[in-house]
Amino acid sequence: MLDWGTMVHYFPFLLQGAVLTLKISIFALILGFIFGISAALFKLSKNPLLRGAAGFYIWIVRSTPLLVQLFLIYFGLPQLGIDLGSFFSGVLGLALNTGAYNAEAIRGGIISVPSGQMEASRSLGMSSKLAMRRIILPQAMRIALPSLGNNFVILIKDTSLVSTITLVELTLTAQRLIGSTYKPFEMYLMAAFLYAILTTATSLILGRVEKRMAY
Amino acid sequence: MTEQPMVQMKNLHKYFGENEVLKGIDIDVERSEVVAVIGPSGSGKSTLLRCVNRLEESTEGEIYIEGILLNKQGMKPKEFQKHLNRIRTKVGMVFQQFNLFPHMTVLENVIEAPIHVLKKSRKNAVKFAESLLDKVGMLEKRDAYPKTLSGGQKQRVAIARALAMEPDIMLFDEATSALDPELVGEVLKVMEDLAKEGMTMIVVTHEMDFARRVADRVVFIAEGKIVEQGNPEKIFTEPAEERTKQFLGTFINGFGS
Repeated sequence: MLDWGTMVHYFPFLLQGAVLTLKISIFALILGFIFGISAALFKLSKNPLLRGAAGFYIWIVRSTPLLVQLFLIYFGLPQLGIDLGSFFSGVLGLALNTGAYNAEAIRGGIISVPSGQMEASRSLGMSSKLAMRRIILPQAMRIALPSLGNNFVILIKDTSLVSTITLVELTLTAQRLIGSTYKPFEMYLMAAFLYAILTTATSLILGRVEKRMAY
Repeated sequence: MTEQPMVQMKNLHKYFGENEVLKGIDIDVERSEVVAVIGPSGSGKSTLLRCVNRLEESTEGEIYIEGILLNKQGMKPKEFQKHLNRIRTKVGMVFQQFNLFPHMTVLENVIEAPIHVLKKSRKNAVKFAESLLDKVGMLEKRDAYPKTLSGGQKQRVAIARALAMEPDIMLFDEATSALDPELVGEVLKVMEDLAKEGMTMIVVTHEMDFARRVADRVVFIAEGKIVEQGNPEKIFTEPAEERTKQFLGTFINGFGS
């Protein structure tokens, strides 16, 4: 039924696509984490301007499709003279997207740390910044970790959408190979398999981190 | 030469919305004095204590810590925060719910602020922390995490954590109210030792026996006002005010015989 010979022959090409997928994922993950933590802190800030900006960012990301966001950055921005190229457009689009969801997870973590923790810190003379960094955030991260992990896995799967802005990652590699082999079932099956490996590995790593963060 | 009081509260008022919780409180606390604040729940005694290190902002009135005005006006927000942080290092606080940092070991809890606020070297902070943990009988548990400790042990660590800042004044906000009855004694013992060493203390408590034995002065607060204050023996044996008698009476009926 399956054409094993073709599969073995083309697997290395898909693997190459998966490497780009991984690269995009890692960049977007790191950037998205930074966006998330910043937006979460801004949204909890006393400054109404920061709060408003973070709220707007989260709202706009959550109320529009990722595909349209990517098109806006890759096809739309050059019209304003900002051409980031396909790789950085893809990474930025994904990071902005996942960052908004991370922000909500982290904000949820921060507000579920009991208020007594901040009070105890302040009573010891800590500034609110120091208390946030040393006392509140470490506890908030632990609470947010399961949701963040979920976001990371979704991010990896969402990288398939950057195939539409000419990045030859795993999905676009499969599509191109289908063009020359006419074996869509085999090619998409291998792609799916490689995505599953990436996401499962991520989940396993996060499970370990979660255990290590337990206290 | 008269020494200025360690804590001075002048005409303190506090509103929560429309609700006036403190209705003009004046208390002076002298160096090495132990003041026990007693009163029915909802009387405002915890709020009063929390105003002293400004975990609550008083609506009206003045608080002086060692002669320095706490609620200074006309400072830039950043300056004011620094001013507050400086004063707070001089005022230790122990909470009903302990509020230990759960992601840190006992020792890390105690050295955290000395290292990051007082900028002590880790070595010095650890050395001092160990002596404090020894004093409260918790040195053996230095590497334990708070969740493995009993309530009494947690509270003793919390006291050591506050003492690590070398405060001049210690505030106790119902420090034994969340403890199982058999664990109350070990915490009161630590507090009593501290009082004997000459620490200036304001103790909000329901432990009437402790107030009577250890305090230099008892302040009875009801409905946001000081009803009566004075020598513990006098307050407990021959209170002047009907409201005080009533309160102490419910205590005896509730807990005695």
